[in-house]
Amino acid sequence: MRVVPLLFYAAAAAAYAGHFAWRDARVGRLATGLLGGGLLAHTFLIGMQTVQAGHAPLVGTTAAVSAFVWLLGLAYLYVELTSDERSMGLFVSILLVTLAIIPALDGTVSPRPPVLQSPLFTIHVLSMLFAYASFALAGVLGVTYVLLFKEIKAKHLGFFYARLPPLRVLDVMNGRAVAVGWVFLTAGVAIGGFWATQVQGSPDPRAQAMSVLDPKILIAIISWLVYSFALLARRTLGWSGRRAAWLSALGFVIVLLNFVPVGYFFTKSHNF
Amino acid sequence: MSTRLFAVGLSHRTAPIELREKVDFARDGVGAALSELAARGIAREMVVLSTCNRAEVYAAAESDEAVDDLAAFFGEYHGVSAAEVRQHLYVHRGIDAARHLFRVAAGLDSLVVGEPQILGQVKTAYTAANTGHHTGTILNRLFHVAFTAGKRVRSETGLAEGAVSISYAAIALARKIFGDLSPLRVLILGTGEMGKLTGLHLKAQHVKAITMASRTRASAERLAPQVGADVVDWTEIRSAMERADILVSATGAPAAILSRGDIERVMKARRERPLFIIDIALPRDVDPAAGAIEQVFLYNVDDLKGIVKENLARRSAELARADAIVNDEAAKFAAWLQSREIIPTVVALRERFEHIRRAELGRLQHKLTGLPPEAQSQVDHITKLIVEKLLLTPTEQLKSVSDESLAAAYSDALNRLFSLPAPEPSAEAQEQPAPVSNRRNS
Repeated sequence: MRVVPLLFYAAAAAAYAGHFAWRDARVGRLATGLLGGGLLAHTFLIGMQTVQAGHAPLVGTTAAVSAFVWLLGLAYLYVELTSDERSMGLFVSILLVTLAIIPALDGTVSPRPPVLQSPLFTIHVLSMLFAYASFALAGVLGVTYVLLFKEIKAKHLGFFYARLPPLRVLDVMNGRAVAVGWVFLTAGVAIGGFWATQVQGSPDPRAQAMSVLDPKILIAIISWLVYSFALLARRTLGWSGRRAAWLSALGFVIVLLNFVPVGYFFTKSHNF
Repeated sequence: MSTRLFAVGLSHRTAPIELREKVDFARDGVGAALSELAARGIAREMVVLSTCNRAEVYAAAESDEAVDDLAAFFGEYHGVSAAEVRQHLYVHRGIDAARHLFRVAAGLDSLVVGEPQILGQVKTAYTAANTGHHTGTILNRLFHVAFTAGKRVRSETGLAEGAVSISYAAIALARKIFGDLSPLRVLILGTGEMGKLTGLHLKAQHVKAITMASRTRASAERLAPQVGADVVDWTEIRSAMERADILVSATGAPAAILSRGDIERVMKARRERPLFIIDIALPRDVDPAAGAIEQVFLYNVDDLKGIVKENLARRSAELARADAIVNDEAAKFAAWLQSREIIPTVVALRERFEHIRRAELGRLQHKLTGLPPEAQSQVDHITKLIVEKLLLTPTEQLKSVSDESLAAAYSDALNRLFSLPAPEPSAEAQEQPAPVSNRRNS
């Protein structure tokens, strides 16, 4: 059962690629349908895991990656259905497939240690994941902006020119995605910080490792600084367009590094 | 006898401009031409398509003679000698006529391949004929399939993609940079013909505001009302550039009037808001080095020409795919046309056989009444089965005929051999097949 969402996402990615290459509306609708199917299967899987474990499966990096894939898929589907623009689907679905491999390999639901028995933990994780999903969309929008920008600047109107939405649309959507992500990241970090002070007395070594110098927390703060700068620079320095696009792509690379490699190998505070 | 489909006409491919100017159904309105055609009784259904590049009549008629009558009509209606018209006319029959219309509707037969206006013109021509009650089952179907073919070619191929004129290439670029053009401000420098044309194109896109400036304010003021523009003094162009999103530069200046430094200063004041510069002046108005500034998109005439050339090349690469769609729709239409020919015959044939079966059973009624009810129904069942089996192969064979004239010949032969009644006693007015004996000169 746990590989079913991955299979759907992979099929959706193939269909999005086909749609991007041939621009056939039927292939595009097929891609959306497959993504919807994957999300439905994923919802069912998360529901089953919740029933099985008695709590939302958010403990540990694998579970968080699974929840992130699910949230990103939903967020993208919402954007696609409201904007009627499918060209981002290829980029987003590649990200979904790559990350969905992790929970597909390991479907065990980690038990929730006593230190995490707090609604603050759930809110913290969900806001962080939602922020990451927003930043993922912003990163994809940034990359596509640069691809299109290069073609227009080089006066060679080719592949991406024919397929991507206008530069300004990509830029405005990028700005919105960064703003929404920043709000959730700020809330997530603040709630996490508050909760960490509450569990300082806990005997759990991970609770004691909660410090600004722990890689996971440090890099989260760095990414918060990057996105805060992106927001501020857009408003005050006129850093829209290509600079904003690069910043959001860079921001997402940091987020992704923090999420997966740091989450698995380097953090001492977040390895549940 | 079946209905035949024709397309007769001339176009930029077959006739010189002098003749196309004379043969123009649009001059007195296609309605008048349709009425005249109807008065002559040449065809049962007809549509007149008239654009600046073609004059065509699509007709569904009873006999092949309609072609000659139509050809004569082209000359007589326009007061041109029959001989002069005839050598430039083309005639397509049956499914070739359908394929021709589909190619026309898809823009494959246009002067600029893939141009989108033609589909609208085909629709207008059909609507005119339809409201005048000059169309029937065949042309209604034919034209609706043509609309489908045209739309499919547009959406499934890149044939209609990419602007193929400099002005449209510039507008397409503006759309790719800014998306919606309605909140944009345009500044036009210079009052030459190119500047005016581009201004008119942008006005048609409903931009928010157009401003004009010229070294001689009077000439800008003369031109401004035509483009719906405000006028600013030449000395104010710097601040006008700071407000504008699109700058069209088309002055007759002998050297560049805007240096890279000028544009850099403007961009600083604009806080990096994108600026699309269309430099259509020759020699160029804007230093090409300005194109390297972040968020400045500088295109000159040669760049735009290059895009047009690439687009034209890309369009011709899509021709094969477009042709495949046209052939696909033509095959579907052929199947419909042929089933329309064959199905009434099949139905009539089955009815004839069923009639004979019932008549024979009726004749034997007095003998059958002696039998038990189960045996009676067995007899009914067996006779039905025999008729079904007898008809199975001929029905399948008939339905699989793909050639239109062969289908018509089969249909005709069956009508005669079995003295089948006219299948459609409606307005279609099919010819009543006479008994075989009357047709033979024996």
